[in-house]
Amino acid sequence: MALRNAVLRHLRVPVQNLAVRGSNQSQIGFLGSIRAFSSHDDHLSKQDVVDRVLDVVKSFPKVDPAKVTPEVHFQKDLGLDSLDTVEIVMAIEEEFKLEIPDKEADKIDSCSLAIEYVFNHPMSS
Amino acid sequence: MVDKGQVIRLCRSLLRAGRQLPDYNIREYAKRRTFDGFRMNKNLTDHSKVEKAYAEGKKQLEVVERVVKVYLAYPPKTKNIMELKLH
Repeated sequence: MALRNAVLRHLRVPVQNLAVRGSNQSQIGFLGSIRAFSSHDDHLSKQDVVDRVLDVVKSFPKVDPAKVTPEVHFQKDLGLDSLDTVEIVMAIEEEFKLEIPDKEADKIDSCSLAIEYVFNHPMSS
Repeated sequence: MVDKGQVIRLCRSLLRAGRQLPDYNIREYAKRRTFDGFRMNKNLTDHSKVEKAYAEGKKQLEVVERVVKVYLAYPPKTKNIMELKLH
């Protein structure tokens, strides 16, 4: 199943590759990008998730970007209130194209929990 | 008795309903107005006032859901420039 997903995902790559490398790229080129039996490629890297979550938090107007670290707590360290937390979680949902159910969203009150949730979610993109 | 969790959940429902709006301006307004409305009543302590504000919020949720249906019937034909990612 993971191999199928990996193959399907790589089959979609040629369109982007052709645009980037020029249209005289041969069709054989994309076969080289398939790594058989690798189930890790269809997900975001941890660093990518961390960077994007921190960008979302830093771009929030009430937040001082200098204070934002991957472990920072929204209400205790950044001085935000629960409505601001709701706003940040909604912004993270939009960034990663997720729908976080209320029960899980209530628990996210720090950058580390947000990063963990997004990283472990299979549908993050 | 309306508790904090219910208020937060109502806020999220309003935001999620507003997100479906196809028009950029009205979508942003819905988001802004939700936060303004909740922040305005953030410090209420009187139970009856809290209940009244919560009931008003529920009414507004119905309004947003109705408005979404109307706007989805005639979506805008072009993307607003603010929705384009220009670098």
